[in-house]
Formats: sequence, structure tokens, C-alpha cells
Amino acid sequence: MMRDRLKGTALWCAALLALAALGSAVTAGASGTAPTVKVFFGQGEQLVAVSRPGATVQDALTALVAGPTSAEQKQAFRSYVPPATRVRSVTQNGPVATVDLGVGFLQGPAVDTTLARLDQVVSTVTAIPGVTSVRLLINGGTPLGLFPGVDATIPLTRAALATPNVPATAPVVQPGGQASAGTLALQQQLAGLGYLLQSGADGVDGPATRTALVAFQKWQGLPRTGLADTRTRAALATAERPAPIKQGPAGRRLEVLVDRQVVLAIEDNQVVRALDVSTGKPSTPTPIGSFKVYAKFARWWSVPFREWLLWAAPFNGGVATHQYPDVPPFAASHGCVRVTPPNAHWLFDFLSVGTPVNVIASSG
Amino acid sequence: MNARLVALLAALALLWAAPLARADPPPTLQPGVLTVGLNMPSPGFQVGAVRAHGVVFARGLEIDLANALAARLGIPRVVFYQEPQFGRLIAPGPKPWDIALAEVTITPERAAAVAFSIPYLAADQGVLLRLGLPATPRSIAQLARLRLCSQSGTTSATLVATQVNPVKPARLFGNTTLMLDALQKGRCDAVIYDAPILATLRAQVPRRYGPLAGVIRTQESYGVLLPTGSALLPIVDEALGAIIGQGTLTAISKRWMSTDLSKLPVLR
Repeated sequence: MMRDRLKGTALWCAALLALAALGSAVTAGASGTAPTVKVFFGQGEQLVAVSRPGATVQDALTALVAGPTSAEQKQAFRSYVPPATRVRSVTQNGPVATVDLGVGFLQGPAVDTTLARLDQVVSTVTAIPGVTSVRLLINGGTPLGLFPGVDATIPLTRAALATPNVPATAPVVQPGGQASAGTLALQQQLAGLGYLLQSGADGVDGPATRTALVAFQKWQGLPRTGLADTRTRAALATAERPAPIKQGPAGRRLEVLVDRQVVLAIEDNQVVRALDVSTGKPSTPTPIGSFKVYAKFARWWSVPFREWLLWAAPFNGGVATHQYPDVPPFAASHGCVRVTPPNAHWLFDFLSVGTPVNVIASSG
Repeated sequence: MNARLVALLAALALLWAAPLARADPPPTLQPGVLTVGLNMPSPGFQVGAVRAHGVVFARGLEIDLANALAARLGIPRVVFYQEPQFGRLIAPGPKPWDIALAEVTITPERAAAVAFSIPYLAADQGVLLRLGLPATPRSIAQLARLRLCSQSGTTSATLVATQVNPVKPARLFGNTTLMLDALQKGRCDAVIYDAPILATLRAQVPRRYGPLAGVIRTQESYGVLLPTGSALLPIVDEALGAIIGQGTLTAISKRWMSTDLSKLPVLR
């Protein structure tokens, strides 16, 4: 099952790459302009290639270290390779390129971005025709223990880094508590306003109720406590179901409200659900604009961060809505839209390939 | 002013200045160079890049500790030497290094072959759980009912066999990478290994593991290794004592060990 899905993703990626390669070949051939190299930057939870002039591994690495352009940055492209990285030398022996980088490559303590950097280098170098793997050196030496979970003493291939090495995490089922009439009444209010599923109104307090309360508090501009405090109860008593920010076509669509950290699931211009989400943190904001869901993956392997993302629906390159165990009440992601476990499967079922997604900076 | 206090301060000042005022340079293999043996990688303690035995880049708690020791001993330069085989560090005979740091637990058997400094870290054994384990073990008896894994040839494996006595025999792995891979894939319910190392590995990729269930008190001591009969031993002990006493080691540990192990439950 997992393998089939993976193959699907791989085929899809291969098709895109082939198309991209075809595109650049045609452009270069038709106009006779200089050749280009592919440089990989992070976008949301995946690496996505952009074109740069050049032909060699050295050209590609120089462009990689230089980072995305400001126009690309606005589309959530981000490089995890520190600008202080020095490319000490590049040598090639058959299909293996040996790349020697200075210690600037390892700057900073964040380990998850260390793996993303490694993946950027391997993806970029192996996109050069004739190169299939990369032997990485740091200051001329073989790395030992510098990339957690990756044996960097051997030449690395993109396929090896893109192969999941952990099983998808099973959802942790919280033991249910005692049902109470007070909780049931609260849940019925939340469900009536679209914050909670009707089936979630069971009288038992739990994660579904808390994430519904946070969504309500975010919409109302109340402190995001996830608790039914006095102010929240008072607001609930008079609240109305949220309305779409923009009028749109009939059918299903999403509005991602970056300022409120809320997603509105809309059908025929009526809000079906309002969901508590976490979008891109200030350094990797979720790009603003109109997009469409272009694929659905029950589980999606994040190549740069090496973890499974469940119920993922990408709508802009590597930017997707997906389930995540950690959805703080503020913007915290790499650019994606994190959805809480109680809502992620519901949202996944709500979306189809082609569903419009409107990312809105200011919802007024 | 209190004369006794002045005298005390003067004595303290003398003590403080003593290492700097030493007339002869410390007797190292190469004058002015402290050659430090390592056994990389050990996340948190020592990772880096090597060309054969030569170390071109290294970082971690033990790297900072080596540099602090050299500074305290008045040795201007530190050179690291990678020994890929741990067994060769603790084997008898001459060594290509002045001191070695590799989370080596001080044991009487090892002390017969090599010399040890005073301890620089007291490590308990830690219990790291897999993701999604339904119940967290609260005692050694509860731990014994789980599928346990550890590393062969270590004090951890001995502890599992002699004190935990698991219902099913523990699975032993040749190195940390394989052992943690098995835990990530759910082939073990829990891994029992040096607590500071498990804490560091977990902090690097927290979403791959369950919680640290706690520690089993063993208070094994890591010591600096020296060749038997090394003339450096007394001054290394003195320098290490000062580094510990002045809180330098605590500061270094805080930099590399993000988990406060003293707050973990103790399994009995």
C-alpha cells in the first residue's frame, strides 16, 4: 500500500521533472540561449526546482548558496543552506560528484534544517546530467554523525534520501473521559456554528472540543486558550456562523485566513466548517494568492524533513494542508497549513483535486 | 578589613594563578599540543569530519571539554585523533594521543589496562520508548514485560540481563544507529542505553520516538582516558577538578544536553 502510493508520487515527480527538462531543452534549443541548471529550494514541506543559468556542478552549487530571488521568496521558496557556505572544491569521477563544503554549511543548531540542507545539495548536484550520486566532504573530511539518521560516509542519491525510513505514525487514541451535560451543551453550540462536527458532540471533553474552541476563539479574536472560559461562553451565546470573506463560485472551496489562523471550508458560499490551523511562521510564510488542490496523499513523505505527513492536499508546489500532531495557536509551519488530528481526515475528504484554495492575508 | 579574609583571598588567588604560572610545559607527545583521542560519532558528545585518523572538524560536549582542559593546562593547541575502533582506545599499550574522551565508563577491568581521570559525568541508564506505546512503564517490573533492546558489549546490556530480567530476551545491536532504527520501526518497545546519549538522540528528532520513560540509577562515571603511567594524570585531574568546580562543565553540558535528566522519574 505504502509502496504503491510512493511509486505514484515518484512517477508523478518523474513526469514533472521530465516535463521541466523538456521545457528547458526546448527553450534553450529554440532561442539558442545559455544552458540552465536546476537548483532545489524548500517550498513548504518539499523541495522544488528553479532554473538558473549555468551548466556545471559548480554553477549549480554557486546558485544554490546564493539562495532564492525575492520573487521566489514571495512564493515561499526558501534555502536552508547558509549563505556563508563555502564550496571548497568539486570533483567528478564517473557518475559520482565529490563536493567539499566549508563548515559554514553546518552553521546553526537546528537539526531538521541540517537534513534539508543535505537534501538540497544532493538534489541539486544529481540534477546535473551524468551525475547520479554525491560524496559530501566537510572541510575535506568524511562526515561522522553530522546528519542524524543519514550515513553520509557513502555517496548519497536523491532516491535514497527520498525513501521513507520510518513507518507512518499511528494516531494516538486518547482515552475518553466521562460525558457531562455541560460539555454536551457546549459542543452543540460549537457544532451549530460549524466549529465541531455534529458527530463530535458526545458530551466528552477532548482534543476535538479543544481545537473547536481554539478555532472559535481565533475567529472571534479572543485569547486562544482552548478553554470554555467566561469570555468564550459569553461570545458563544451570541455568535453567528462565520461567513466567507470573499464571494466565490458555487461548489466547494477553502479560504485560508492567515491573520486569524483559521481555515473556512465553504460550499456554495456557506461556511461548512471553521478549522483551527497553523500556517507558515514569519520566516517561511504561506504564500498569499489563489491556488487549486493538485493532488491528495493519505500519507505524504516530507523529503527535506524526513517525516510522514498524513492527509495531505498540496495546492502550491510543496505547500499543502496536512495533519500535524503539533498545531500551536500561532503560525509555526514551514509554509504549509497544519490541521489538527481531529479535523485532518474530515478536511481531506472535503477536498478534491481542483478545489480552489484562497490564501488571504487580511480577513478584516 | 579582616586580615583572615585577606589571607584567604590571597591564597585563593595563588591557587587560581597556579596553572598559568607553571614553569615547565605539560609533558605531551608534542610540546605545546594536546592530542585528544576520539571515537566519533556520538551525537551530543562528539560528531565531526575525518580524513583517516585526522579530524578536520569536530563539535560536541567532549570537544568543548577537551578545549577547556587544554586552556586550563596552558597548552595552546588541541589536535583531535579519530580512533574508529572503541576497543583500541581502552586496550593496553602505547597510544598516539595524550588523553582520550569517548564517554568511557570507568570500570576496574578497564582501569587495569589504561588510566582514568576523576569522573567528569555521572550517567544513569535511560529508557526511551517507541512512538505509540500504549502505557508508559513506571517500574522495572513493568519494563520487563516489554520488548527491550540494547547494545551488545555495553554496561547497558549487562544491566538488562542482570537487573531487568525481561520476560522475552532483549535484542542486542552492534551499534547505536541500528538500535535506534529498530526502535523507530517499532521492533522494540523500549531501548535501554546511557541516558544522556538517548536524551540527545531524542532531542534531534523528537517526533520519531516516544517519551523518555525515566532512568535506572547506575551512576556510571565517564572518565578521561590516559595511557597507563601518564605523567599528565595529576595535572589533568587538577584541571578537570577546576573545570567542574567553577561550573564550566555545567555550562558546556547545558549547551549540548537539552534535556534535564534530573527531572526524569527513577524506575525501581
